[in-house]
Amino acid sequence: MENTKKENVLKRFASAVGGNNLVLIGAIIVVFILFTAINPNYLTWTNFVNLLVAASLVGIVAVGHTYLIIAGQNDLSPGSLCAFCGVAVALFLQWGLPIPVAILLTLGCGVLCGLFNAWMVNCIKLEAFIATLVTQTMVRGFAQLICDGRPVAISNQSFIKIGTTRFLSIPVSVWITIIAFIVFGFILARTRFGRSIYAIGGSAEAARLAGLNPRRIVTVSFIIIGVLTALGGVVFAARMNAGQPSANVNLEFDAITAVILGGVSFAGGVGSMFGTVLGVLLIQAFGTGLIMVNVPSFWQSVAKGALLLAALTFDYIRKERREKELIAASKRNA
Amino acid sequence: MESVLEFKHISKYFPGVKALDDICFKAYGGEVLAFLGENGAGKSTLLKVLNGDYKPDAGEYLLNGEQKHFKSPQEAIEEGISVIYQERQILLELSVAENIYLGRMPSNRFGVINTAKANQMAQKIIEDFGLPISPSTKVKDLSIAYQQMVEIMKAYSRDNLKVICFDEPTASLSDAEIDSLFAVIEKLKAQGKIVIYVSHRMDEIRRITDKVAIFKDGRYIDTVVTAETDEKDMIKMMVGRDLGDIYAKLDKNKEIGDVLLEVKDVSSDYVKPVSFTLHKGEVLGFSGLVGAGRTEVMRAIIGADPMRTGEVYLEGKKIVNHSPKEAMENGIVLVPEDRKLQGIISNLSVAGNINISLMKQHSNKLGVISAKKEAKEADDGIKNFRIKTPSPDKKIVELSGGNQQKCIVARGVATHPKVLILDEPTKGIDVGAKSEFYEMICEFAKQGLGVILISSELPEVMGLSDRIIVMKSLKVSGEIMAKDATETKLLSMGMIEEKE
Repeated sequence: MENTKKENVLKRFASAVGGNNLVLIGAIIVVFILFTAINPNYLTWTNFVNLLVAASLVGIVAVGHTYLIIAGQNDLSPGSLCAFCGVAVALFLQWGLPIPVAILLTLGCGVLCGLFNAWMVNCIKLEAFIATLVTQTMVRGFAQLICDGRPVAISNQSFIKIGTTRFLSIPVSVWITIIAFIVFGFILARTRFGRSIYAIGGSAEAARLAGLNPRRIVTVSFIIIGVLTALGGVVFAARMNAGQPSANVNLEFDAITAVILGGVSFAGGVGSMFGTVLGVLLIQAFGTGLIMVNVPSFWQSVAKGALLLAALTFDYIRKERREKELIAASKRNA
Repeated sequence: MESVLEFKHISKYFPGVKALDDICFKAYGGEVLAFLGENGAGKSTLLKVLNGDYKPDAGEYLLNGEQKHFKSPQEAIEEGISVIYQERQILLELSVAENIYLGRMPSNRFGVINTAKANQMAQKIIEDFGLPISPSTKVKDLSIAYQQMVEIMKAYSRDNLKVICFDEPTASLSDAEIDSLFAVIEKLKAQGKIVIYVSHRMDEIRRITDKVAIFKDGRYIDTVVTAETDEKDMIKMMVGRDLGDIYAKLDKNKEIGDVLLEVKDVSSDYVKPVSFTLHKGEVLGFSGLVGAGRTEVMRAIIGADPMRTGEVYLEGKKIVNHSPKEAMENGIVLVPEDRKLQGIISNLSVAGNINISLMKQHSNKLGVISAKKEAKEADDGIKNFRIKTPSPDKKIVELSGGNQQKCIVARGVATHPKVLILDEPTKGIDVGAKSEFYEMICEFAKQGLGVILISSELPEVMGLSDRIIVMKSLKVSGEIMAKDATETKLLSMGMIEEKE
């Protein structure tokens, strides 16, 4: 009797949080315990804050990827764009532009990049994977071009403060990502635009015939990830005191891994922002842990690849399970 | 030895449908067995289970007492089971002989293909069939009927052929071509093969088949001897009731109003210029063969495909629809033919699907959707359209086909359209739901909507419409008042002329 009651409570809790999210929370706890056991310094406040700071960049890009992948698209350009925007904001400041103007111009670069990606996908009908590979390469080139391949130092002290200021003992960069998660999570769950993202990810043609405009929704999603990445690039430059043209390689890789781990399906139409938050925390806890237990960097790369493979495998298993449940439901209804 | 094919308790589920429900029966060599049933009765699914395209969820089938499990159609063909589909499955760029012996061309021990020998072997089969074609002709240079013959010869050329199935083989054949196809079927039958013949055409079933297996809603009903059974009785078995009654009983709208929609020379990349008018309260049927351009006209009108020429007037005012969205705002809604890919949004719930076109009305200035308004709209839709669902939050794919379709219609009607276009609305749904749809269509007309009904089922078009437009080869080929229409008239208006 007592046991069944407990089971019911557990079941209700599980369905409220979502089975996949529970698995993720469990995985994060396991990762923390594992790495702390090897290196006790892993579980300290300082390290935790550092972990959040590192996660904030992946996180803000992952917000954009959550939208795009649910809509059935993808974006491989954020790593390059982030580096480009870091260099761009550094240059704008060097020219003596006021901070708000420099930041707005940089975000404008993010908008342009998003528009370009959307143009390739909507008008030349390229697969997003290939289209954004083009952007990835080109934007990386531009990042090197505008600074001749050398990092651009930032001396504007008020700008650097963006990277160092804390609020409630948590750095501003982390707060920015938290706000992005909340705002865009709300938009995704509760608004017309969010619903449209799910609808075109489920079936773009059905959504179009039902009166939606898939092209516009895709365009706006690409602009959103562009602006968020640009913002991430600005904050990253402030933390580094410089714009670095060769930085942030594989940023999109981490973000996509986090999003898929978080339960967004590569097939589109499925996922949530909360899942992405957990995915980001898991991948960063894992990545930081590997560094702190002195895993050689080449092996870190192998491990990250393995993590993405695991995420994709989970995605596949979830999809299979959804289909089986559907068939079972049909059997019940028949 | 006479071949026997036995189905034992075969069941197959798809999301939302029980496509096959405990199918049990036998087919014997040396006779032609027809599969008869409405669209969605399970005939094609059973063929796909037979040839390894689908894996049954339960049950098994035996060929000459031996249990068979094919993982692919290729495996089935190698074991002597071939299905000839409506869509040609041959390689147009290859010769007749190469197609017949595809993957097993005679060759020497170095793997070099002996084309002359293949041609010789193919020539023998062609003579068997009595056809005036050469084994070295490229298949793309043959008429559709001969291309189909090549497919049959391909199956026939296997020594171990035991079962051959034809899925609507005469859909695009002329009378003379049908004659030669039937001669071949007679030959196969004489050789003791099991021949399965799927068709909707009663006269053909009468002519060529010995027995008829009747299916309804995924269930096997019975097998009857063709010569001993009345046509009406067969139809009654496959429909479950007398369909004539359904149409006669319908309470149709009698007050047809002014001109509502006027379409002038509308064309797109997929259809030639088409003109017609639709009145308030009228049900306008569109008849014609699949591919005649009926869907394409509607897609051009609502802006789903770019309109190349022509004008559309709604209540006398010229309107231009660049997208389905604009058409919807102007009051024209399409319920598409392909429910699975163009109708339902599979990842959303029943409520989500009903509400998707009304998000603007249900949200505030910031775009935040009101859960309350959505819940009310969904409840109204579920009640008014009698959608059978455990809850509005159920995924739409869990519902049966008919109920999914009701959700799509509910979605469209919720936008308060003036013109409702229904493209094959009853395709693949069960008879019970069908008659509900018929009542709905009459109700829409009474409310003053203009309804356009595209349907390939002639009794349906004739029973529901006030006026019928027939299309042929991407153009309008005729118009007839429903009360003057007969199946023969509609068919002759809609049949494609011979092209040789």
